[in-house]
Amino acid sequence: MIYSATAMALILIGIYCIATKHNMIKIIIGIEIICAGVNLNFISLAWDGQQSDPLASSVVLVSIAIGAAIAAFALAFVMNAFKQTGSSDARKLRRLRW
Amino acid sequence: MSLFDLVLFPIVGAAGIVAISSVVKERGSLFGVFAIASLSFMAFTLFQTAGLIPSSYWIEGYPPPLGVVLYADSFSLFMVSLFVLMGIIVTLYSLKYMSEDSGLEKYYALLLLLISGLTGVAISGDLFTLFVFWELMCIASYALVAFRKDRWEPIEAGFKYLVMSTIGSLIALYGISILYGMTGTLNIAEIASRMPSSWTIEGYFSIAMIISGFGVTAAIFPFHSWLPDAHPAAPSPISALLSGVVIKAGVYSILRVLFSVLGPARYDFGTMLLILGVATMTVANLLVFPQRDIKRFLAFSSIANVGIIITAAGVAAYVAYHSPADIHVAYLALAGGAFHILNHAIGKGLLFLASGNFIHEIKSRDIVDLEGISKRMPYSAASFSLGALSLGGIPPLAGFWSKLIIILSLLYLSSAPLMVAVAVIMILNSLFSAAYYVWLIQRISFKPVKADGAKEAGPLMLVPVLVLAVLCVAVTLALPYFLDIVNSVANALLG
Repeated sequence: MIYSATAMALILIGIYCIATKHNMIKIIIGIEIICAGVNLNFISLAWDGQQSDPLASSVVLVSIAIGAAIAAFALAFVMNAFKQTGSSDARKLRRLRW
Repeated sequence: MSLFDLVLFPIVGAAGIVAISSVVKERGSLFGVFAIASLSFMAFTLFQTAGLIPSSYWIEGYPPPLGVVLYADSFSLFMVSLFVLMGIIVTLYSLKYMSEDSGLEKYYALLLLLISGLTGVAISGDLFTLFVFWELMCIASYALVAFRKDRWEPIEAGFKYLVMSTIGSLIALYGISILYGMTGTLNIAEIASRMPSSWTIEGYFSIAMIISGFGVTAAIFPFHSWLPDAHPAAPSPISALLSGVVIKAGVYSILRVLFSVLGPARYDFGTMLLILGVATMTVANLLVFPQRDIKRFLAFSSIANVGIIITAAGVAAYVAYHSPADIHVAYLALAGGAFHILNHAIGKGLLFLASGNFIHEIKSRDIVDLEGISKRMPYSAASFSLGALSLGGIPPLAGFWSKLIIILSLLYLSSAPLMVAVAVIMILNSLFSAAYYVWLIQRISFKPVKADGAKEAGPLMLVPVLVLAVLCVAVTLALPYFLDIVNSVANALLG
């Protein structure tokens, strides 16, 4: 129960981080915090009182790898944005509006 | 031949392209032909599997519900055939359209990975496999949106797409983890059978997470704001693919999880889907008009069409929960929704590829610059008009029939005030979309010519457009055959 609550808190922290921070790297860190929260939730739900379900562990291992792939990819975006605007500030990327 | 081959062929093709590119440098069209070859193998496998549904596949020694399971019913195969069809057409189109870009081995490899991810989403039999293929699809499409990475627009649109879509996928995974906590398994059929027979609050929570998570990629209002940036920024063939099939994968995942896993008879998500669908199509249709950029115009129209599909699903779920006596209406509505998925994929693919022809020729996406282009590029403009009329819902073209089926299913339930309201809003929206598409056709066909030097596109870019235009008409001519297919899709979802 406490793990599920922590997982939810992590997800909310991550969303708050993405919504308020302007630095692109910090936005990516926010994404990774959400990722950690979801993984924690999976692991916490696998516990049935006596033992942990191995299915959840294998799922979380793959999910961590996917999270790393997304982070790597997002950092490549930051590099390209830095080459063009000379900063990693997401506010510089405001030319597209709805 | 098995289901596994369907996802294997494009992945092997992608690896092959990267391997060849280390020996043969800068031969874009060679990689393109290789990509078409591996997609054709995939289409061949698809024909062989088509007779065997429902079929499933798992790794030897790890039977369900333990390991990775692939499962295909008629809804899955319906989606996979759309993915392969659009994949082949778009690859063919890219041979010429992308020929001036560099790094084409990456382009075609990513295109194949995108098709593979889409296929995997459609044929996965457990929710985690679905998530893995989902991320494969997402990462490939981020890269393709930002393929021209030395310009500012693709990078900005791509980063926005990446952040929004990744949050969405993670929220959807959170919803999946709650389903896992409720039932202790991830296999779709197994979750459905272990689910408590009455509703629970966790179930509704996971529904909310799943709709808002996958809804980001499906571009449901209010999560649609990445789409009108990402579609114009991508190269035209990729816009066609994103609009035609990638957002449909989001719709597929929502429908699969809600209908096959949670069950419309147990949970009342119909009202939620109806509200979201109506809001999506209304907002998007209102935002189409101020657009001057032709690809943004088409992108907003894609959001409106997703709204129509979600509304159809909402009607089906609403009927199954509130008045099970009228269950045949639910089949009708879902068949209409599936038919609209098909019509929109073909029609919007056609519109994006044809507008790609214009953009390639006059190097501008502004509708004002495109005025009168049909005098210079008659075949592209004629195909474009055909697609626009179909999506605008002008009878007797394909888009009319799918909208008609959905509206008829709404009118069947005229005793419920909600349904009447939705029917009225949907009819108004259809008229509105017909109006703006006819207005667009008038701009490109009947105004004086702006771009005097424009010439008709070459055969490699014209053939895919013409094929899609013929398909648009063919769907109407073979209407009974397609209605059979979409009926079996509705049967697969409602059981």
